[in-house]
Amino acid sequence: MQDGVEDKFSRQANGDHAALRLGGLTKIFNKPAVNNFNLTVRPGEFYALLGPNGAGKTTTLRMVAGLLPPTSGSIEIFGIDALRNPIEAKRITAWLPDEPMLYDKLDPVEYLEFVAGLWGVEPRRAEANAEELLNVLGLWEHRNERCEGFSRGMKQKVALAGALIHEPKLLMLDEPLTGLDAAIARQVKELLTRRVNGGATIILTTHILEVAERLASRIGIINKGQLIAEGTLDEMRQKSGSKDSSLEDMFLTLTGVMENAA
Amino acid sequence: MNKVWLAPQPGSLGWLVMHDLLLSWRRFRSMFGGMSNRKGVIIVLIAIVVFHALGIPVAQWFVTTEPGGANQRLFMPALASIVLFVMPWLVSQSLTSTTRALYTRNDLDLLLSSPLPPRFILFARALAIGCESIGSVAIFVLPIANTNAFFGGWKWLAVYPALMAAGLFSTAIGIILTLLLFRIAGPRRTRVLSQILATIIGAAFIMTLQGLNIMPEGVREAIVTSIEQPGSGFIYDTQNWLWLPVRAVAGHWDALILWCSIAVITFTATALVLGERFAMSAVHSASAVATPARQTSNKPLRFRKGAGRALRLKEWRLLGRDPWLLSQIMLQVIYTLPVSIVIWRSQGPSGSLAISVAPAVVVIAAQISASLAWLTISSEDAPEFLTTAPVERHEVERRKLEAIAIPLLCFLAAPLLALAWTSMELALYTALFAAGASASTAFLNFWHPMPGRRVAVLRRHSQSKLIAVLEHLMALLWAVAMVLAVVESAISLLLLAIIGAVLWFNRPKPAKPAPLQTTTAIVAA
Repeated sequence: MQDGVEDKFSRQANGDHAALRLGGLTKIFNKPAVNNFNLTVRPGEFYALLGPNGAGKTTTLRMVAGLLPPTSGSIEIFGIDALRNPIEAKRITAWLPDEPMLYDKLDPVEYLEFVAGLWGVEPRRAEANAEELLNVLGLWEHRNERCEGFSRGMKQKVALAGALIHEPKLLMLDEPLTGLDAAIARQVKELLTRRVNGGATIILTTHILEVAERLASRIGIINKGQLIAEGTLDEMRQKSGSKDSSLEDMFLTLTGVMENAA
Repeated sequence: MNKVWLAPQPGSLGWLVMHDLLLSWRRFRSMFGGMSNRKGVIIVLIAIVVFHALGIPVAQWFVTTEPGGANQRLFMPALASIVLFVMPWLVSQSLTSTTRALYTRNDLDLLLSSPLPPRFILFARALAIGCESIGSVAIFVLPIANTNAFFGGWKWLAVYPALMAAGLFSTAIGIILTLLLFRIAGPRRTRVLSQILATIIGAAFIMTLQGLNIMPEGVREAIVTSIEQPGSGFIYDTQNWLWLPVRAVAGHWDALILWCSIAVITFTATALVLGERFAMSAVHSASAVATPARQTSNKPLRFRKGAGRALRLKEWRLLGRDPWLLSQIMLQVIYTLPVSIVIWRSQGPSGSLAISVAPAVVVIAAQISASLAWLTISSEDAPEFLTTAPVERHEVERRKLEAIAIPLLCFLAAPLLALAWTSMELALYTALFAAGASASTAFLNFWHPMPGRRVAVLRRHSQSKLIAVLEHLMALLWAVAMVLAVVESAISLLLLAIIGAVLWFNRPKPAKPAPLQTTTAIVAA
């Protein structure tokens, strides 16, 4: 059963499917939070989703993670229809929100065992992954301490280890560097870069434009639930018409223009 | 003068006590889902009226214990059992409050860093603990004293000073016990241990009373006779010092004065002498709040396979790491057991013990299961995380249910074995219906999760009255269905059908939850 499933999605993944394809995705709470949102992220891309507060970044990713049913539209992850077949989609996806989803009364090793169990990772492989992640993230010494005593940064790292232990093909991170100190932030950035080089697809939302500028191969700017600009940093520069403007300038121009137009 | 009474001068003893009592009042309100001040006062007033009404039959019974009355010889034993009931209750209350005071450091830190003498601060805190304990018991006890005074004469008002004295005395005991635990078990364990101790002591008062109630007539009679005869022995001698609080309640002036003096002296001495130590302990508890590092093992990582096992293991780990919560559930059992026995003794069909106890087991199973289910939900620190996992919702629920089954079986093993010893057939029926009852209350909790703080386990019902009602309804239906099944009545099937219908109407809707719809569905059911 397990093998069959793996075969199925490796076949799908090896095809020319997009890592993530959103078609006309819409979520209406009282007013539209995400409005006819179209997005295609290619496999192996490091995609940064930028936008002002309340632009719909987190709502979008929560829908992709299966936490929120969309009002309308389609979500496809490596060719799997995430709305029709959520379990298969979740099997290759990881979601890391800005507030780490941890269990206070479990220690990092137990947490990782739990996550690996849920995603059906073969135990020997999970053990090796856990050991590596705990070492890389500097958690090895703390592996038998319960998470309740951890600082925010430590918790974020444990959650990240949990997101990576099942080797997701698509990793979505919501503000992954919020509240982390410089040293930890660098560790995390390095780890993410390494994952992308290893073939994973990463989508992250961030307020910190510098992070997007440095890490992302492609950037999308979202405002009022819609994608208003997309491209590499250079393409964006050309679009905004000034060659040496920073991402911040472009971001402010683009989101400001939209507001004025509306 | 009046002004001083209304608003004590800042920094004075009264002011500090008022501050603490204000916090206690807020805690009380939050127990009922954070109601407003006005609502709180109204609830207290209603409670006072209700307890006065409940006090009337008690008072009428006590009239028969007046000299020359039919139950004259039961006067002292009855008062003694009331004292046995109230004292552990007070100690339990003050243990809980003392522990809270010790570990709610942020406020104690602030007070101790202020330019007020620590001894003074801690005396005020001890006084506040005493007031809180007295208050929580007084609301039940004093109305009875009032009705007794109305029917039986002014001497009953001696209950007022006797209760105050008992409160102060118990607070002193509570403080001493907590600090003793702190000394023996260390700051980290004391928190849990004292809570468990409070639970056990708190349960003791119910157990003593029910113990007496369940005892055969002959034994009770023998005790009463022993108490009647002067010089009949150490515990039974009403002139003995152990009987001092009882004599105080009975309105013997000398005993009352002595009891009050002993209480005030014990309390003052404890608060003043141990105050310093209390402050030190509080400071020490600061360093203990961070979790203990378990010995880092050098063993290689060993993971087990499978989502089901991972889910169960996680539930057990989370449940097992909260011994206090399990003890709270145990307390619930202890509270339910005698009550159910009394109910079924008076209403059981044939009066035989087996028929009367078996339905109680079903009811208890349903309640423990509901508590455990609620615990597994509220201990679910990361429900969103589970939603992102490639596991179906019903699988998560099934594993939670499996995880609950083992501790539940531990709780039920003894009564089930006892039943099996009496009648194998009855034990089988009980096990079957208890399983059904547990599963249905557990599912109700899964389907209508009320995320709440885990510490609120005993007051979880304040969060959703509807689910509480349904839980009790389920428990009752299963119990009655069992009795009917045993006597081979077809109505049993009808009850099972009703249970099925209630569950069906409460099943999770595939789309988003719609609480309003569910409500109407239940009303319709």
